[in-house]
Amino acid sequence: MDSKENSMSSLENELKQLIIDSLDLEDMSIDDIDSHEPLFNEGLGLDSIDALELGLAIRKKYNVRIDAEKDDVEKIFASVAALAEFIKSERH
Amino acid sequence: MQQDFIVLKWAVWPPLRGDAEQDSARQKELLASVPKMLKRRLSPLAKIVFCAANQCIAEHMIVPVVFSSSHGELAKSFSMMEMLEAGQEVSPTAFSLSVHNAIAGLFSIAWNNQLQSTMVAAGEEGLAAGFIEALGLLQEGAEQVLLVFYDEPLVDFYPSEPFKLATDESRALALRIAKSGEGRKLKMSSLSLTGNDGEQPVQLAAFIRFLAESQAQLTLKTPRHSWRWEKMSG
Repeated sequence: MDSKENSMSSLENELKQLIIDSLDLEDMSIDDIDSHEPLFNEGLGLDSIDALELGLAIRKKYNVRIDAEKDDVEKIFASVAALAEFIKSERH
Repeated sequence: MQQDFIVLKWAVWPPLRGDAEQDSARQKELLASVPKMLKRRLSPLAKIVFCAANQCIAEHMIVPVVFSSSHGELAKSFSMMEMLEAGQEVSPTAFSLSVHNAIAGLFSIAWNNQLQSTMVAAGEEGLAAGFIEALGLLQEGAEQVLLVFYDEPLVDFYPSEPFKLATDESRALALRIAKSGEGRKLKMSSLSLTGNDGEQPVQLAAFIRFLAESQAQLTLKTPRHSWRWEKMSG
């Protein structure tokens, strides 16, 4: 794994922990979340309140704002991998 | 006002003279059927409401519900106000679960109960308003109604005394009532006598003792009326 992939997977793990902590998924660990599975509905099973809560947690931790007017929210929240990609691109 | 009804089943949670360890094990059992993704949203208060209600309705039983609480999830609102004061952003989840009908909403989802659900914000009349709402539904033709009273201690910030606004215990009482059927027949009536026996949380403790013990009647005085519940024979 080169260093770019490494930093990506560590960001993904960080996001998984953030999801678990901010959404009270108490009995889950980061190993239970697949980076590519859908976060909402059929995948992890999150709902619209979770989307707002996760948006707030990301804003607090990464100072990255997801704007429902401008950004493709559905794509950003599609999976942990998609979310990590978005945060990485916004931070640079 | 005077009205007879039958208490088909009633349950209190947590038990009045409980054992912490046993109660916590039993609480887990009573909440076992709640979907995991919903369970994470249940506050300690929501959990005791679910536990009281669960003992009064069978699985898949669809029944109109009346909830009544004086203070609801006030502790959640209070902590959000503290966050606002500190200049922090408020959690959308906490906000959505702080409203007075939050537990009623969670209950409807958990039980897939699509019938009417009413949330009473009990004022100085206390228990009476919830009963009147539930008796009204029976009068309109509902076969039975689930009536759930609940409250928790007030956050320290609010003065409870000398206003008799709260007790130092969280408690939920669920009653499934009907106009006829097997159960305990009660008569509820209003009297012109006035006084102050406290708001719902204080009244609730007295009402649970009335149901649980051999006491034939209970009169609760409020600044405007008194309300009396009598155990009837037959």
